[in-house]
Amino acid sequence: MIDIKNVSKIFRTKSQTIEAVKDVSLEINKGEIFGIIGYSGAGKSTLIRLLNGLELPTEGEIIVGDASIGALDKKDLRKKRQKVSMIFQHFNLLWSRTVIENIMLPLEIAGVKKEERERRARELIDLVGLTGREKNYPSELSGGQKQRVGIARALSNEPEVLLCDEATSALDPETTEEVLNLLLKIREELGLTIVLITHEMEVIRKICDRAAVMENGRVVEVGPVIKLFQAPEHDVTKRFVRDDLDDEETEIQIESIKETFPTATILKLGFVGTKARAPIVSMLVKKYGLDVNILSGNIKNTNDESYGHLYIAVDITSDTLEQITNDLNAESVNVEVAQ
Amino acid sequence: MIETLKEMFSFEHVKLDAVLEATYETLIMTGVATLFAFIIGLVLGLILFLSSRKRGAVSTPVYGATSFVVNLFRAIPFIILIILLMPFTKVLMGTIMGVWGAMPALIIGSAPFYARLAEIALKEIDKGVIEAAESMGASTWELVYKVLIPESLPALVSGITVTSIMLVGSTAIAGVIGAGGLGSLAYMVGFTRSQPDVTLVATVVILIIVFAIQIIGDRVAKAIDKR
Repeated sequence: MIDIKNVSKIFRTKSQTIEAVKDVSLEINKGEIFGIIGYSGAGKSTLIRLLNGLELPTEGEIIVGDASIGALDKKDLRKKRQKVSMIFQHFNLLWSRTVIENIMLPLEIAGVKKEERERRARELIDLVGLTGREKNYPSELSGGQKQRVGIARALSNEPEVLLCDEATSALDPETTEEVLNLLLKIREELGLTIVLITHEMEVIRKICDRAAVMENGRVVEVGPVIKLFQAPEHDVTKRFVRDDLDDEETEIQIESIKETFPTATILKLGFVGTKARAPIVSMLVKKYGLDVNILSGNIKNTNDESYGHLYIAVDITSDTLEQITNDLNAESVNVEVAQ
Repeated sequence: MIETLKEMFSFEHVKLDAVLEATYETLIMTGVATLFAFIIGLVLGLILFLSSRKRGAVSTPVYGATSFVVNLFRAIPFIILIILLMPFTKVLMGTIMGVWGAMPALIIGSAPFYARLAEIALKEIDKGVIEAAESMGASTWELVYKVLIPESLPALVSGITVTSIMLVGSTAIAGVIGAGGLGSLAYMVGFTRSQPDVTLVATVVILIIVFAIQIIGDRVAKAIDKR
């Protein structure tokens, strides 16, 4: 669906030259939710703006659907943008228009007739759960509601691709969850491709199928989300994963537990995939008659799998440890002795 | 001193029909000039705003030229502008006297002023909203009339209020050199014939007009602001 080939973007001003995007190549499949994560200044905002031609590449080629974005003339680029729509961190709604008028704006630009505009806008208002709010002005809505209007507006021309520019970064955790669920819902119902940029690993984990990690304008790691969490390779990826799991806090706890139970072995059980829902602990208790002390657990759900880890303290010999390790490995649970 | 005050408040020289006619002339001059200042100033303001957004082979010289013309006409004092424009006014309006003789100078004097106010109003628009419109595939014209004008309308209205009040003042200056209106009444009748009561009445009417414009402008700006 989207093919980014060796793309670089250089901004030149009188005083300096900034290489915002450096030799990035990515392929994004149809119907996929693809995340791009990076700290601020990593180049992700520039990269996403290259996909709808708000910025044009200095080098390389970007193909969206059947068109090369850089090769389109102004008129065709405007037409293309109607099919590659965008939502924003600060929603960017027109304060001078009501909810329904905001949603109809892209349809006016596309030259859709009035009755058809209203019909489609009303459908979208229902889809995003804002029924009854048509006549309100943006200033009368909460942040989450504003982003719903933004999403409805972006969907009004039935796009093939939806670009999300930090769409949840200005929202509180609960509202973020709602908006992410809405994105999952529209992907399912409308089958469009979603590309999102974020600095929150949580967003990647909750809805993305695959993700790319960016640092200093380059893509340093790309892969299925579960793989990034399970076996992050680059330091930046590791940092994002650790921040999402709050691992540092766990380590502090382990230190203090070791002082309280000097004889206990502390095991870190790593879960990947749906097995995270299997009753591992009760199996250990029943089969080996162990007293299991649960120290800390962290199970996270991605959009279709779970992963995480559980720290437990048990009094065991090395023989039992081996047996347990084999049993758990059979359940695809990874066992490590925490030091 | 007391004599003068007595004379001022005697109102013995005030003729109602003369005051009404002068008021009407001032309102016509202010109203028509405001309308043209709004149209011409808004167009100039849009050109200034749009051409300042990006550097380019076209936009940079367009900005430079427009900005120069606007600054030039704003720098010329109004009284000198009237005199400078006299030959042009004569050709265009057929006269340099009366309400219509004053019109070119009033419009050319106020439109560049409003252009700067419009440019400031447009610059206040959230950049994100403009980017959003571009991401929808809006053309420059669609951007102008669907986004830029509606989103800056309260500031555009406040700007026209300021311009309009400035124009009331300008009509009075023009009145002194033969344009008619309340300024003419205050000077020609009130001053040259030593009838200070007429000057006082003309002043009060001008104040009422100015206050009325301010109140209406504020109300309109508030009513259309949905932020």
